Amino acid sequence: MKAFRSLLIGTVAAAAFATNAYAARGTDGEVKIIYWQAPSILTPYLSGGTKDVEASSLILEPLMRYDEKGNLVPFLTQEIPTVANGGVSQDLKTITYKLKPDIKWSDGSAFTADDVVFTWQYCADPAGGCAQLAKFEGVENVEAVDAHTVKITFKEPKPNPYLPFNGAQSPIIQKAQFEKCRGANASSCTDANFGPIGTGPFRVTSFRPNDVVTLEANPNYRDPDKPAFATVTLKGGGDAAAAGRAVLETGEFDYAWNLQLAPDVLSKMAAAGKGKPIAAFGSLVERLEMNMTDPDPALGEERSTAKHPHPILSDLNVRKALSMAIDRQLLVDVGYGQAGRPTCNLVPAPELYASPNTDCIKQDVEGAKKLLDEAGWKPGPDGVRVKDGRRFHLLYQTSVNAVRQDFQALIKQWWADVGVEAELKTVDASVFFGGDAGSPDTFQKFYADVEMYANNFDGTDPEAYLAEHTCSKAPRPETQWQGENINRFCNADYDKLVAELGKTADLEKRGEIGRKLNEMLTKESYVVVPLVDRGRVSAHSNTLGGVVLNTWDSELWNTADWFRVK
Amino acid sequence: MTTDALDRPAAAVAAAARSATLVVVEDLALHFPVYQGLLRRQVGSVRAVDGLTFDIRRGETLGLVGESGCGKSTTGRALLRLYKPTGGRIAFDGRDIATLEGEALRAMRPRMQMIFQDPQASLNPRMTVGAIVEEPLIEHGVLRQAGRRERVRELLDAVGLNPEYVNRYPHEFSGGQRQRIGIARALALDPDFIVCDEPIAALDVSIQAQVVNLLQDLQRKLGLTYLFISHDLSMVRYIATRVAVMYLGRMMELAEVHDLFRAPKHPYTRALLSAVPVPDPKVEATRQRILLKGDIPSPVNPPSGCRFRTRCPWAAEVCAKEEPEWRTLADGRKVACHFAE
Amino acid sequence: MLTYIIRRLLLAIPTLLFISLAIFLLLDLAPGDPLSQMPLTIPPEVKEKIRIALGLGEPMWVRYLLWLRQFFINEPLHIIANMTGWDIASGAQRVISWQTRSPVADIIAQRLPQTLWVVGMSYLVGVLIALPIGIVSAYRQYSLFDQVGTFVSMVGFSVPTFFTGVLMIVVFSVQLGWFPSIYDTTLRVHDWGSFMQQVRQMVMPVAVLSLYNAAQISRFMRASMLDNLNQDYVRTARAKGLTENVVVLVHVLRNSLIPVVTVIALGVPTIFGGAIITEQVFKVNGLGQLLITAIYANDLPMVQTLAFIFAILIVLFNLVADVVYGVLDPRIRYD
Repeated sequence: MKAFRSLLIGTVAAAAFATNAYAARGTDGEVKIIYWQAPSILTPYLSGGTKDVEASSLILEPLMRYDEKGNLVPFLTQEIPTVANGGVSQDLKTITYKLKPDIKWSDGSAFTADDVVFTWQYCADPAGGCAQLAKFEGVENVEAVDAHTVKITFKEPKPNPYLPFNGAQSPIIQKAQFEKCRGANASSCTDANFGPIGTGPFRVTSFRPNDVVTLEANPNYRDPDKPAFATVTLKGGGDAAAAGRAVLETGEFDYAWNLQLAPDVLSKMAAAGKGKPIAAFGSLVERLEMNMTDPDPALGEERSTAKHPHPILSDLNVRKALSMAIDRQLLVDVGYGQAGRPTCNLVPAPELYASPNTDCIKQDVEGAKKLLDEAGWKPGPDGVRVKDGRRFHLLYQTSVNAVRQDFQALIKQWWADVGVEAELKTVDASVFFGGDAGSPDTFQKFYADVEMYANNFDGTDPEAYLAEHTCSKAPRPETQWQGENINRFCNADYDKLVAELGKTADLEKRGEIGRKLNEMLTKESYVVVPLVDRGRVSAHSNTLGGVVLNTWDSELWNTADWFRVK
Repeated sequence: MTTDALDRPAAAVAAAARSATLVVVEDLALHFPVYQGLLRRQVGSVRAVDGLTFDIRRGETLGLVGESGCGKSTTGRALLRLYKPTGGRIAFDGRDIATLEGEALRAMRPRMQMIFQDPQASLNPRMTVGAIVEEPLIEHGVLRQAGRRERVRELLDAVGLNPEYVNRYPHEFSGGQRQRIGIARALALDPDFIVCDEPIAALDVSIQAQVVNLLQDLQRKLGLTYLFISHDLSMVRYIATRVAVMYLGRMMELAEVHDLFRAPKHPYTRALLSAVPVPDPKVEATRQRILLKGDIPSPVNPPSGCRFRTRCPWAAEVCAKEEPEWRTLADGRKVACHFAE
Repeated sequence: MLTYIIRRLLLAIPTLLFISLAIFLLLDLAPGDPLSQMPLTIPPEVKEKIRIALGLGEPMWVRYLLWLRQFFINEPLHIIANMTGWDIASGAQRVISWQTRSPVADIIAQRLPQTLWVVGMSYLVGVLIALPIGIVSAYRQYSLFDQVGTFVSMVGFSVPTFFTGVLMIVVFSVQLGWFPSIYDTTLRVHDWGSFMQQVRQMVMPVAVLSLYNAAQISRFMRASMLDNLNQDYVRTARAKGLTENVVVLVHVLRNSLIPVVTVIALGVPTIFGGAIITEQVFKVNGLGQLLITAIYANDLPMVQTLAFIFAILIVLFNLVADVVYGVLDPRIRYD
């Protein structure tokens, strides 16, 4: 409770807080939210889509949420369980949550430990196709110790035991409502999927999939003064520009989600004065991945596998030179404006795990040339460097996306300046990220020398994210080209350190290891060349108060505190 | 014209023989503007009909002949005021209709009708035969419904069609039958004057005679006056009382049919007639064709003086300078040539 | 005529079956993955489990036959069951959307009203504007009216709706604030105020779409009128002494309408197809938007069902156009 209160005091402007403190539930009328991607379903368990996760966060709540700094905040529990307060066992194998005693579902029934247990059973059912299964990885059992105590047992020690039931992706669903919807029946429960009963500030009044959700204040919400708004309309569809226009220019809507717009477009809209764009940064990093294996088509089946190291990019200095040639600030200005900042880190946040490394920010063309010269790559007759009769030619691929194509063009130019020839390739996003083992164009197959995309990690703990770069996770024919170690980086020291992180519970120590792992991938090896730390830009109208943009949880995480500025 | 066309009884037509002349045309001209260029400016005009003076006698058939494009059909349509003349006067039964407009013109319509060349195209494909023939009766408020039905049957019968066919559509008939429908339609309002614009040109030869005979029968029975436009000289010779010859929008010669065919005065008429086969082997053997040189000049920019001079075997200097007068010869024939006598 | 219609309907069955197979194969063989929209943070093993839960583990022909069964047997059973209250459809698996995990048919039924309202209304308005414009343009060919009409048609024809739509929003929503830029699909008309609200939110999408429709149809109308105005039977009608109104509006118009009515009938399925771009621009969220989001999300059952319903409508309205032609033009007989 203490953390919750400090959060409110710390983040909401004092004046705004004061006006809100006297507001009663449902006195501020309607709040209109626009998501340019429309929600398809209102439980995050059947859809991993951000739009669905965030829409359902108005209704469903996890035990704890992350705040805008990435700290856990108890919502349905009394406190954050830790080893220190006995909530997490010494062997890191169990965690016990004490639920708040008087929470009610929006239908008036009591919220109990059984609902939490059921949520795990629902998602863990192998026939259900649960999209958030990863949240429950390693969970051996979830049991209700009493009506308000839940104990989770892990198969192995979990230094980060907060994955299940925390954050917007794994909220608690009501057992009574979903009991008949387990496994193969998940799809037949349209009513439940479209109108889940939750403990959150609002409940669904109508849902039109891929169009609009209307909600009203939950009469059984735990804080009798909240939410201030009586109804919510969450409209979906269109495009980011239209959503921005509706909030910033016409004032028809109060809140627009994720305005991925060109910086100049956004600032022009903001000039209309009806609202303001707000930005926050999470862990999403646009990066170049260097292929450590040889993608030469002549290799057939063994193409892009660990059997054949990359003929050019295996040299650390070459990778470093390619990174040095890039002006990251210019990329930010061109592509993201307010919504981006240059970074040299694969894990740019939270602070605990972010390395202070800023070596790469300054472009160094001469340095890059010198490194390449030293590596034996000498300028050829047409300016492209040559070594042992081999031209410095790279195939550089990414998905179809206007900003990425701008980046490709800029980076190709910078590389040309240091004597590197880049051939550009673009692949439709649904193919590139589609994971179809039969397609040669997926980012996992990596039939190219360099590729560019963005990725982030869920929640605030990068352990799993960093573990993606261990040797065994490389996509290869034996795994049907599945796997997250996209650049096929393989370093025994790295793998050892990852294993150590998996055993460390102490936060300080975890941060230290995390930073080291991050640096091993970036400034020590340049297999991952981070470009831009991509933030989130959303916008709210001048009359909507209480908005705290949060990239670690749902953007709608604190709608209970939203209010109308009068 | 003192009687109203709308309620004039049919029988009165014959009785009202006030004058021997039904139509008097004076200096009739019809020019179509030509637009060109981006802004569609008028750059000239097609002088389709350029200064015609003639008359049509009550009860006669005036044949109007000439090559394609000489303005025959335009003349016919102008007489019926389907076009608005650019200049000149058309007196129909003593009343000038050249400048009539709107309702006054519409009131004259029942008295003058037209039979078209293409019987298929001239009949609205979406109307039944009955509706086609009946429509003018409705439009001009003649007769009540039952009377109209009866009248339609009579008309079909009169043109030799089975009256049971009223509910059929034009496409269900043969070409000759369609032309009969066209005739029945033209007759519906009891006209005095019918312009037959090449009425048989689109028909089989075997059918042509039938239609011509029908036209002649109807003329006798109903006292009709025809302007018979055709390029078929032998048919004109057969049906016409008098014949007028046109060339490039002007009239070259006008004479009784026998006179014209026996002794054409105008060099153009001679050339035309020389192309007609004669059904007498002896004469046919000696017939000499007069071949005209060159093409018909453009009506946008006709030759100076006599229009025919560019192709005329007699052409002389005077022909280029002076336009030949439309003169009446001693025997009453009319001709437009400096040298004809 | 009846035998003709029955014969055509029977012939349509193999045609439609073939179309359904073609659509299925095209969609199935096209690159793409229903899970590609999901965040990269969902691990591949989980994605594989979701794929199996969606039925993607089965071979292609099994999935095709399953879809056929769901579409042709189970869905009609559900409709009958809903209408009569008989319990004949329980357990019969309906066509389920992968995105929403709910029956495709229900979503389509939910989307139909706004599409019919907006797109249908714009088609109607378009036709009502286009006919008089086409008639007058043809009757007064090359007049100022005709020139302006031609220009406006060309603009309506060639300027894409995503341009005109956004332009209208910028002018009328952003600058003037007259109309909402976002369509409210939840609005229920129950009194004068809500009716006016509905009218206001329909003005812009309907205007944009009807400009496009009117441009097309008025050109057809004009060309068809011009064809007929020079026909001999029009001269005949004038010679009959009919008034100009009767000549143009009865003789010429009725004949000119035959091809235009056919074109209009053939265009009706596009109403149900929705207007993908315009719906997106104004957030009308009808069938067009449903189709495009389903395509983006690789929601094959939804795309397949929508595409197939469009195919049925196209086949059906082709037949309707033929029949209408036969009714209007006595020269055509189907026997």
